[in-house]
Amino acid sequence: MRLLRGIALVLMMLLPAGARAQHLLVPMDDDQSNHLKAYGLTYNALKDGAKGEWLLNYRGGSFLLPDTPEIRRRAGLDGVSVQPVDDPALAAIRSDMSGGNMDAIPLEKAPRIAVYTAPYTPPWDDAVILALRYAGIPYTPIWDEQVEHGDLANFDWVHLFHEDFTGQLGKFYLAYRGATWFQAMRQTNLDMAKKLGFANLPALKKDVADKIRQYVSNGGFLFAMCGATETLDLALAGANVDIASEFADGTPMDPNADAKMDWTRALAFRGAHLESSPYINSMSDIDGHQANVPGRRQPLGTFTLFAFSAKFDPVASMLVQDHRNVIPDFYGVTTSFMRNRLKPGVTVLADEPGAPWVKYIHGDYGKGSWTFLGGHDPEDPQHAIGNPPTDLSLHPNSPGYRLILNNVLFPAAKKKPLKT
Amino acid sequence: MMRVALLGALAGMSIGVPLTVQAQGNTPTRPQGGEAYLRGESLEDRSQYPEAATAYRQAVSQAPTSVAAVLGLERVYAQLGRLDSLLPVLDTAIARAPRETAFRIAQLRTLRTLGYSDRMRAAFEKWRHDVPNDPSPYREFARTLIDAGFTASADTVLREGQDATGSGRDFAYELAQLRAAKGLWAPSAQSWREAVAHNAYLDQAAIFALAPTPDSVRDAVERALLAPPPTPQALHVAAALHLAWGAPRAAWEVLKTLRADSAAVAVWLDFASRAEESEAWLVARDALVAADAARPDARVAARAATDALSGDDPASAAALAANAERTLDSATVARVLLPVHVRALGALGKPADAQRVMEAYLPYLDPGQKADAGRLLAMAWVRAGDLDRARQMLTESGGDDPATEGWIALYSGNLAGARKALRPAADASVERLSAVALLERTRADQSPDMGAAFLALARGDTLGAAAKFEQAARTLPDAASLLLASAARLYDARNADAQAAAIWKIIVTTMATTPEAPEAELSWARSLRRGGHAADAVTHLEHMILTYPESALVPQARRELELARSAVPSTF
Repeated sequence: MRLLRGIALVLMMLLPAGARAQHLLVPMDDDQSNHLKAYGLTYNALKDGAKGEWLLNYRGGSFLLPDTPEIRRRAGLDGVSVQPVDDPALAAIRSDMSGGNMDAIPLEKAPRIAVYTAPYTPPWDDAVILALRYAGIPYTPIWDEQVEHGDLANFDWVHLFHEDFTGQLGKFYLAYRGATWFQAMRQTNLDMAKKLGFANLPALKKDVADKIRQYVSNGGFLFAMCGATETLDLALAGANVDIASEFADGTPMDPNADAKMDWTRALAFRGAHLESSPYINSMSDIDGHQANVPGRRQPLGTFTLFAFSAKFDPVASMLVQDHRNVIPDFYGVTTSFMRNRLKPGVTVLADEPGAPWVKYIHGDYGKGSWTFLGGHDPEDPQHAIGNPPTDLSLHPNSPGYRLILNNVLFPAAKKKPLKT
Repeated sequence: MMRVALLGALAGMSIGVPLTVQAQGNTPTRPQGGEAYLRGESLEDRSQYPEAATAYRQAVSQAPTSVAAVLGLERVYAQLGRLDSLLPVLDTAIARAPRETAFRIAQLRTLRTLGYSDRMRAAFEKWRHDVPNDPSPYREFARTLIDAGFTASADTVLREGQDATGSGRDFAYELAQLRAAKGLWAPSAQSWREAVAHNAYLDQAAIFALAPTPDSVRDAVERALLAPPPTPQALHVAAALHLAWGAPRAAWEVLKTLRADSAAVAVWLDFASRAEESEAWLVARDALVAADAARPDARVAARAATDALSGDDPASAAALAANAERTLDSATVARVLLPVHVRALGALGKPADAQRVMEAYLPYLDPGQKADAGRLLAMAWVRAGDLDRARQMLTESGGDDPATEGWIALYSGNLAGARKALRPAADASVERLSAVALLERTRADQSPDMGAAFLALARGDTLGAAAKFEQAARTLPDAASLLLASAARLYDARNADAQAAAIWKIIVTTMATTPEAPEAELSWARSLRRGGHAADAVTHLEHMILTYPESALVPQARRELELARSAVPSTF
């Protein structure tokens, strides 16, 4: 079979220069010179009305696109490696795939993307925005006002980053209250709460969190990273509990908050213990690494992507397509998720073997689904406030950033019914 | 040296300096532990760590409070991955010498390295309990926390320390570090000012910490550092920061206010070296002039004149050289000042004056120096446009220099002569390589236009040279694209964007198959982006990448494309 594939590829190479094959294979293994822009190439082809396929587990999760002058042009501009494939060669590829844990998923429609981001956040402070901009994938920034006005319904995919949905602004108040940037951030948030008729910031953020929950329940795709993962669930479960410290809403946290949390409202977690001290830069014991808490901070290791059956579990397979299975870990406000805090039914996509935490999780909620990835920036493992932004042109083959972009393309897939 | 480095590594960069100084200060001339200690040291130097550990352990058992022996044990245990074993040793040492700071610091350091955060906190609590009113426990624990990135906790510890000891000054260094880590730049500068006033050796730490200050708050940082009454240490830090921020003139404006004593001369000379490294030639010149005025030195004066010349101020260079010559003996002038003086007068277009100066010191020159001076004088005549006198100078100085002859041939338009003389020359300068590249692109043996272009360049007339290269392109069609590209590069160098872009455009539109075409299109696009025409820049960059996919410039073009599309941060 491999011989057939080899012969087909050699025949392909012998095509006269300029001759068009029927398809372009975008390899996603080590032959790809720019993995991140390959996602942009695929997304924009779909956006222009083309149909494609995601060849799960085939050469690092390759894409198959029609061979058009425009797609070739974009690939050339972005330095994305493509290989022309005619029908016999494609047949050989399919034959090769049928014998292994591989499958082809049709890609039909470019999802409409929204990124929940505050107006004061520089675009380079969010790994997803960095990835989208670098890959050339358009997105719409939204914030509290748009969420409250129901704009989420206009999007197929929504991303959250390190927003603190408990309304405590990441508990930065105690350490950074004198910093100009923090004062401006706080004021902007307070102004928005007032404008939208909320008594305080925690009240606004809890309501925003609930709107996001409804969006997922109605069929939306949610992707969250860093602190947004943990605080979204805390805000949902604590909808009717005072979980914010006094500096945020004028009243101390409910001393029995743990017991009053309603975890049935949460997406991913259950039974977490809330951090009651305003002096400790942590929200709960969901995060395994506790990067900002002396005495609790755990060292970074590596995490391993799980292998799923491409034919029987295509959704999880799409989310873990990568040319590396073991990836260096990276800190964030929330870096990882403790196993004992995960709800039953949550799919673990990546974990650190032997550690009590996992890195990357996915689940369904209502008609939609969500994916959480811990950490701030896959290419800046120790990222701290004030650090320079990551320049992705220096990391065009980043396996960590590929996980983010898998999520972007995931809603483009026409899901096949499960065979089991 | 290795021990100091190891200690630095253990302590972490940010706290390495004070710790090292402190440890050395506490080390007796002959360490307690005697022979065993010396044996440990010797074994450690030979990287025999297990044996060194045995020796140091013996030294510690003989003298449990020997700082040198305990720190030696710490170093080798770190090498052996056995730091756990150091903890009981430290417990014993601390029990016997509870006021010995080095043991406490080593304990915090070891616990941090081992990741025993709770025990580290407990060690700190015990230390502050043992030495009430002493700022050291707070200071050292805060340093450890800052180093580990726990700025909020460090803040709390320092506040506790200030409350407990009633002193803010004792914590200036830690507060400065902490505030810088938190982006509180102006308050950090205030603390650094206080810290360096009492510990001058902290100046480099201050510069390192404050260098990342964002543009918007740099004025506030400067105000904090220079608040009255000014201190020399704070002035030094402020000047170094201006230099790091690319504002050498502002740096000098700060430093020139120093009182002109021997310490100031040392600072000015150091500053001049830094300015020269940044190619801020005229700022370096000013610092050297100030240093020379305070403490006259012929070499410093010559350096000032050379810097003036490098900074395109030949009049100042000539004046500085002439001034210094009045106070020095003729032999020193001939050796140190004459070359720069001749070059300066040549650059001013005064070859006759240059010749007079050289002739005055001719008796003090050996044949080699005479030949060198002759070449300089020949180039002075070249700059004045008198090529015959230039040739005469070369002949009279007795130097056999084919390269200079080749240049003079080129200036005369004798391309064949220039080709013959310059091609084999060993000189790998950009100027020679550029000239040879052009000479190789044309078969013509004569071209007064090309000669005139190179002559204008030698005379420092960059824009004139660019215009003449354009003119030469019309008469040498086989080298036209390279001549035009040379002209455009010169316009670019002089920020004459419009002229450069016009030429790049000609190459792109009418010489698309020449080797210069990819460079032309990339440069044109860059010019468009600089001018705010990002969409046009994108069009040309896309065209360049797709038309010349094999060009070595394609990665640069892709990078430009990403910047033009705002796909990556533009801060890089």
